[in-house]
Amino acid sequence: MNSSYALRLTCLCFASFFLVHTALGVVAAACAPLVGRLAGGMRARSAALLLLGVRLAPACLAVTAVVGLCVPSYLWFEPETAGERVGIACIAAALLGGLAWATSFVRVYRGIAGSRRYARGRGGVDGTARVSGDLSPVRVVEEPAPVLLLCGVFRSRIIISRSILSGLPPEQLDAALRHEQAHRSSRDNFKRLLMLLSPSLVPFSRGFAALERSWEKAAEWAADDAATGGDEVRAVSLAAALVRVARMGVNPDPPLVASLTAGGRGLEARVDRLLRPRPLPEQPGRSFHTAVGAAVLAGSCVVAGVFLAPAALSSIHRLLELLLR
Amino acid sequence: MFHLIKRNRQQSNDSRGAWPLGRLETAVMEILWARGEGRVHEVARGLDRRLAYTTVMTTLDRLFKKGLLDRAKQKRAFVYAPRMSRQEWERRRAGELVAGFLNGPEPSREMLLSCFLEAVGAQDAPLLDELERKIRMKRKEISRQGGQ
Repeated sequence: MNSSYALRLTCLCFASFFLVHTALGVVAAACAPLVGRLAGGMRARSAALLLLGVRLAPACLAVTAVVGLCVPSYLWFEPETAGERVGIACIAAALLGGLAWATSFVRVYRGIAGSRRYARGRGGVDGTARVSGDLSPVRVVEEPAPVLLLCGVFRSRIIISRSILSGLPPEQLDAALRHEQAHRSSRDNFKRLLMLLSPSLVPFSRGFAALERSWEKAAEWAADDAATGGDEVRAVSLAAALVRVARMGVNPDPPLVASLTAGGRGLEARVDRLLRPRPLPEQPGRSFHTAVGAAVLAGSCVVAGVFLAPAALSSIHRLLELLLR
Repeated sequence: MFHLIKRNRQQSNDSRGAWPLGRLETAVMEILWARGEGRVHEVARGLDRRLAYTTVMTTLDRLFKKGLLDRAKQKRAFVYAPRMSRQEWERRRAGELVAGFLNGPEPSREMLLSCFLEAVGAQDAPLLDELERKIRMKRKEISRQGGQ
């Protein structure tokens, strides 16, 4: 593969990504209010999953389209000897695509660096605590400000300040730790990282901010549900812990961190929700998840079969030729 | 008309760090923001207490030297006008205050943030009181149900 051929392919990849991602992103952003309403009627955990899926879908589908369709059709149908020139529109789209990824990587780098700085800057004593029957890594920090959060993406640990340890009664502390453990179990910080990595609608814009806010809310509610497990007394303890920690002072959350009070956002709604009598959340059976997974896999195979047919790839190549000019 | 008058282009001492104003200076600025412009005796008349002409003149001169007022000579008397709107002045003053703290040592930055947080916390206190009341009621309800 000569260099100009590879350069054209790279240019096409970024340009196709930008176009497909923008088109899907506009649809996702337009659907955000509808998805939000739909999520409002679902269990918090399912709602969080749906919102995360809609947020990540444009980037995932655009990458799939580029890797699964554009690259094979180009390699298959474009002769290496063809010396085509790349048009201005294609270069502009490629630059915007590249910029979208560059800003995403910068966001991820800043998020990870900020999270590490936050954890390292506090020092403290590492240990483990038994929360919800599991041993969880916990770091106790000597800090006057109230700190109770889950920090870190891959090796996340709960960071708790002495002021919280001494300020919360045991049952409230247990409920609060269960909440953080729930964030840990559902890998919410990793999901935050994926959202940072997934490009914005337009570089430097916050086109998916509504979806991300809705996800944050649903993730907090899901962690509350998991922490209380339908137990009314534990729900009241968690509500009391939220109010008590909020009274100690609410700090803005660093990136890639799940804190108990979530920076004070939606505190009233969370407390009201915890105090409202609710039926035990239904756990969908394993068979349901298996059925959904199998349906998605089967659908993907059918779509891949259709699109990877020589005729379809040839049509895609014609489209790419148009884009390249 | 003010714009027809030959302006006194004497450059004022633009001492932007000296923007915190005294009570009389603030009152004078309020009058000029409301009127748009004014001579010394007009400003003196607008004050809520009687002050000597020379006191008001000195105050206006000080504000001119601080860079907050423009002045133009009209019939042997100066006409003063604010150089910026009240909103712009407040925005700049707040910006300077925050920048001063942020450029300072770490403790002063933290102090500024903690003051903000305290202010926000104080604002939320009634909400937290209300939530605590709801929690107490719920606890009572649960204990009543447990007793039955």
